[in-house]
Amino acid sequence: MEVEVDEKDLKAAGAVPLTDGRCGLLIHGWEIESRKRAILNTSTVQEWEQKLETTHLPEMVFGESCLVLKHVKSGTKIHFNAFDALGGWKQEGLPPVEVPAAAKWKFRSKPFEQVILDYDYTFTTPYCGSETIEIDVEKHGSGKILEANSNLHWEDCEEKIDVVALASKEPILFYDEVVLYEDELADNGVSLLTVKVRVMPSGWFLLLRFWISFAGSNKLIAWLRVDGVLMRLRDTRMHCAFGGSGNPIILRESCWREATFQALSAKAYPIDSAAYGDPSIISQRLPVIMHRTQKLKVSGNL
Amino acid sequence: MPSQADLDRQIEHLLQCKPLSEAEVKTLCEQARAILVEEWNVQPVKCPVTVCGDIHGQFHDLVELFRIGGNAPDTNYLFMGDYVDRGYYSVETVSLLVALKVRYRDRITILRGNHESRQITQVYGFYDECLRKYGNANVWKHFTDLFDYLPLTALIESQVFCLHGGLSPSLDTLDNIRALDRIQEVPHEGPMCDLLWSDPDDRCGWGISPRGAGYTFGQDIAAQFNHTNGLSLISRAHQLVMEGYNWCQEKNVVTVFSAPNYCYRCGNMAAILEIGENMEQNFLQFDPAPRQIEPDTTRRTPDYFL
Repeated sequence: MEVEVDEKDLKAAGAVPLTDGRCGLLIHGWEIESRKRAILNTSTVQEWEQKLETTHLPEMVFGESCLVLKHVKSGTKIHFNAFDALGGWKQEGLPPVEVPAAAKWKFRSKPFEQVILDYDYTFTTPYCGSETIEIDVEKHGSGKILEANSNLHWEDCEEKIDVVALASKEPILFYDEVVLYEDELADNGVSLLTVKVRVMPSGWFLLLRFWISFAGSNKLIAWLRVDGVLMRLRDTRMHCAFGGSGNPIILRESCWREATFQALSAKAYPIDSAAYGDPSIISQRLPVIMHRTQKLKVSGNL
Repeated sequence: MPSQADLDRQIEHLLQCKPLSEAEVKTLCEQARAILVEEWNVQPVKCPVTVCGDIHGQFHDLVELFRIGGNAPDTNYLFMGDYVDRGYYSVETVSLLVALKVRYRDRITILRGNHESRQITQVYGFYDECLRKYGNANVWKHFTDLFDYLPLTALIESQVFCLHGGLSPSLDTLDNIRALDRIQEVPHEGPMCDLLWSDPDDRCGWGISPRGAGYTFGQDIAAQFNHTNGLSLISRAHQLVMEGYNWCQEKNVVTVFSAPNYCYRCGNMAAILEIGENMEQNFLQFDPAPRQIEPDTTRRTPDYFL
């Protein structure tokens, strides 16, 4: 999934690739790094289950994978990881979505068939990134890195991310996509949390996307006959423009969309499985249920 | 009908990851059907045998599995389903396993997984792959018609019970399973569906599975089933595990998963379970086969996402 980047573009933008096998670059005082690792092993899964107080985690938790954007001078670190996202899932604690088959089962008479699911197994999360200030104490001799959440405040704002400027085809100096967790909802659909980043000479831009397409006990039938359940899309975009004399400002836009298959088909949107498997195609058709724009002023020093 | 020499040639051909012709697949499936229809819902298997979990079209890793576990027929194999979907070589994978079954019927056992179904394969890749490689759906039809004949479970030396998913609240005994009429598409519910879809769970008793098909069953259920049927172990597949195998429910149940780096990105190990001449158990773990870069993992151009 690596992207070829022209070294001349990197030089012209003043960007330096990270060394020691790390994936990412240094640019305009930002250290931007992606890490892609294997899914959690069984013992770590158990550890996480204890910490998160749950007995269920997604089938694929890429717990060591992350995307980190660190403003070196201030220690401000914007990062994306599965643990914090799953913490958000636990906290939101949505009631479970019922597949049509499971709903039917509840009305059966035998005692063993009356068990009701007690957690949101779509792993829907309100997560929109983590932020910390990382104080490099090494300078002060202790050799440790301290992290603190203080002083970082996202404030609501009117400004919007300049999508037109982002559409311009300036060179991409760094690009990556990191899957944080994924669950196939056991062949009922998909639940997926990923973050994509691209770094251009003018700034960095990222999209954190939580997506579920949940189609009931048989996805195919649900797609074609439209008796399925739910699609849910939660996007968070962040943009930070380089340059300017002041301290960097990060804009963050979160947009949540949601619809049932029934609702879409009632609007006579074409129902075909290919379109509904790809959130970028379907997103515009899903009604917005939450939209919020915020900004974070990165302080220049500590 | 092809001779053994034809079959040997086809197996050689398949081992190079080359698909058979449509006509060859048709004949092969007819022969396999004649063999499978004679097998039982609970197919008896002798030790020594090596038990394998999901493969999911990861052909090169199947070849690696044979390198690690020994070639057929020198090693006897029992596969617990999910040969197709997700990986790039479902056609070659299932063709090879079926060809080996036809060639060495007493040395290879192939069970049905929840992906050996007309409906699931239309969503998760096998159908599309057949269209792409043959230009029509005939090969998909030959194989999915054959899948209806695959045995649902196997029993090694009356001790180790093997199946794809797990237990069913409607099936207390092996005789209950023997009484099922299995020659059909996997139903949306009921005992046959449960055997291919259920999962063990930390919670006791039966639970409704979020999968919407099958159930979750607790340790109490598994222990009772093993006791009732004089079994020492339930060996099943169906769930991804990082180490390739995972004991659970006080060693009443083991999960075996044989697709390393599942979906070409999970980074998990695969495992197979060797059961020896004296029923001793030995797990062999393995990593993905060294391979040429798979289609989706090639370099790609930057994405101007918004």
